[in-house]
Amino acid sequence: MAVTAVLRLELTADSGGGRAETVGDFAEFVRMSMPGLLRYGHALTGNPHDAADLVQSVLEKVGSRWVSVQRKGDDPLAYVRRAMANTHISIWRRRRRENLVADLPDSGVVAPELSRLENEPLWQALRSLPPRQRAVIVLRYYENLSEAEIANALGISCGTVKSQSSKAMASLRTRLGKD
Amino acid sequence: MDLDDELRRLFSDDRLDVHSTPDATEAVVRGAERRRRRRSATTTAFALVVLVGAGAALTQLPRSDDTAGDLLPTSTSSASATTTTTAVSTFTSTAIVTVDPPPNSNSSSSVKTETGQPTNKTTIPAIPAPPQPQAQPGQFGSLKLGMSEADALATGSLIEPSSAADPENRCKAYATKSVPDANAVIISPVRGIVRITVPGYAKTPKGITVGSTVDQVKAAYPNATQSGSTLFAKMAATPAWSYVFETDGSSVTAVLMRLDANDCSAV
Repeated sequence: MAVTAVLRLELTADSGGGRAETVGDFAEFVRMSMPGLLRYGHALTGNPHDAADLVQSVLEKVGSRWVSVQRKGDDPLAYVRRAMANTHISIWRRRRRENLVADLPDSGVVAPELSRLENEPLWQALRSLPPRQRAVIVLRYYENLSEAEIANALGISCGTVKSQSSKAMASLRTRLGKD
Repeated sequence: MDLDDELRRLFSDDRLDVHSTPDATEAVVRGAERRRRRRSATTTAFALVVLVGAGAALTQLPRSDDTAGDLLPTSTSSASATTTTTAVSTFTSTAIVTVDPPPNSNSSSSVKTETGQPTNKTTIPAIPAPPQPQAQPGQFGSLKLGMSEADALATGSLIEPSSAADPENRCKAYATKSVPDANAVIISPVRGIVRITVPGYAKTPKGITVGSTVDQVKAAYPNATQSGSTLFAKMAATPAWSYVFETDGSSVTAVLMRLDANDCSAV
């Protein structure tokens, strides 16, 4: 609350009344949606650090354009989720040459119980998927979206969703069978 | 074991929870405010760049005033320029943008120069490849519908490696420098580029862009046909191609240019 107050002060000086309301509204949105988004980010990225970074950077971008995001009339939460999936895919594409091996989260910042997921064969298998295939799986089984909704969210065709999904399921099966 | 159930079980596992620090909300709100301020601080520069960027984007979309009256921009829009160079970048310190001259002054170009901010992380729409001197049908930037894979790669606009665009593994999909999606450009081994996804910031010569309403599309392209939530606007050009406006039922979510004689399945 103290923070909001400070921001309000800065903002009135900055550009007047409506702005403070917008910031308060956005802060409320962040507070409410943060836990769910972090979970979703964790499923998407496969590690809690990347999840936190992803949520932070996408929310900052969305927040800096909060008025226009709201004006669009979409559900802002759905909008943020779509942005996270797409941002994650494109970040990975930029980074993959450097980081072929997934970083294991170093302990300390991460709560100890998280590391237990690392022992799940399915979790490990998921981590080995390319991000777009993984995003398709997360949107389908975590978000329970239909193929058409996934296609729309990721900006790809339904055919691509189908092929990515079947590729992903096949390699998950192979991996789990082998292990 | 049913993999579907296993996945649902894993995704509902409590261990997926990530504990956020108490000041996470505050950090996000501050970060958002910082980004917004950075934008405001450079409002003049930014607005100009965006404005010019939009103009440049316009110039990159095919303006087939030589082939299709349907595509003609309104009288306030610019006509085909003799020379056009565009370079807007977040990372260079200077962006020089040349805008097409208005129709009545074909001989001169207005040049606007703006000093960019190297430290500014706010995403300025990056205009990728410089548009060709003459606007040609079915073209975005240096990429043309029908262009062979080798020629497309030679433009430097594609990001390698490609991925399979169809289940048969016949056609290839590339991301481009302006559209990070892996399926931004689809290339058939026979027909060359069959589909180009236009970046979200670009507008068609009739002003349609991501976020335009279905009604606006229909008003701009009265001959547009609809299939499901997707609208198709045929362009009179050789080879024949169409704008494909993917919508969520009410507004445009993606603008694509697609060769009518397209032989890639699911494209």
